[in-house]
Amino acid sequence: MHEYSVASELVQALLPTVETIDGRIVSVFLKKGELRILSDTALRNAFEILAEGTKLAGARLEIESIPVRVTCPACGYAGPVERLSDPAFHFAVPILSCPSCEAEVEIQTGRELYVDRLSVQDAAAPETT
Amino acid sequence: MHNVHVNGEDILKRQLELAEGNRTQLEAAGVTAISVMGAIGSGKTSLIERMIDRLRVCGLRVGTIAADSAGDDDHRRFLSHGADSVNLNTQDDCHLDAHTVDHAMEHLPLQDVDVLFIENVGNLICPADFPLGAAREVVVISTTEGDDMVRKHPKIFAQTDVLVLNKIDLADAVGVDPQRVISDYVRVNPHGIPVLTDAKHEVGLDELLKALGFECTSTP
Repeated sequence: MHEYSVASELVQALLPTVETIDGRIVSVFLKKGELRILSDTALRNAFEILAEGTKLAGARLEIESIPVRVTCPACGYAGPVERLSDPAFHFAVPILSCPSCEAEVEIQTGRELYVDRLSVQDAAAPETT
Repeated sequence: MHNVHVNGEDILKRQLELAEGNRTQLEAAGVTAISVMGAIGSGKTSLIERMIDRLRVCGLRVGTIAADSAGDDDHRRFLSHGADSVNLNTQDDCHLDAHTVDHAMEHLPLQDVDVLFIENVGNLICPADFPLGAAREVVVISTTEGDDMVRKHPKIFAQTDVLVLNKIDLADAVGVDPQRVISDYVRVNPHGIPVLTDAKHEVGLDELLKALGFECTSTP
């Protein structure tokens, strides 16, 4: 249950930026690498609570997943990895191994956690739902 | 409605930088740090005690950071085995982070330590998102938790160097097939090293130390 502390870092990092924006923040688009072990529901709930009383109040946290991509020092492969699609695992687990030559790989994407963009309702525009 | 692009800086960037700082500091002091994660009651502390005993016989000086949400039981156990130890209470936090480890290291004579065990809070989810700057990461589970632990927590097992399945002496009693756990682990982590141990009866410790990169087979 570390989503609350992560959401706190997120709100603190965003506030200096959003306070300079004229208009209402409708959505915050968060990019999350699929190797991060963070519950989307818990992140959204924590964000909603922490945003109260700030310029981010009422904004919705939209979470977009970034798939794993790797490079292989052995054979030069660059791209996505294979997934273990056994129903016993309930979701397709990325296998951190080279799909071409099975060597150990360097992870290029899949561990990110950053805000990509905000959607803003212009101050002068009528409210839309 | 319009979109505003923001600087895109990683929210956990500070944690990653602090972990990198710890790694640099440890390497400069000649310390090999091992991050020990795992389930509550899986035997993390017992395994570290046995490893301290063996490494000391091999002439290595061992330090420990004993993290728990409260109490100093593990810390006192490590001290009794001759380790330089720091007790670290996370005050109900569910994981260690690089910042708290950095402060804990200030209380250790790093120049007089060869191997540092950092024992995380018992938890198979949160610690995986917070690198500490250790050279190797090991996850400890035990047979008494069932043979489905890898399937229930695949992400942490997919990202760590070594899996320890402890309490193999109890496998029959609890109806668990250790090979099932090992085969799940190898499937999610083809480059990970699985080790079967029974810390209480000193089984599998040589293999574990070898998996962690130590050439030490002396028995206390």
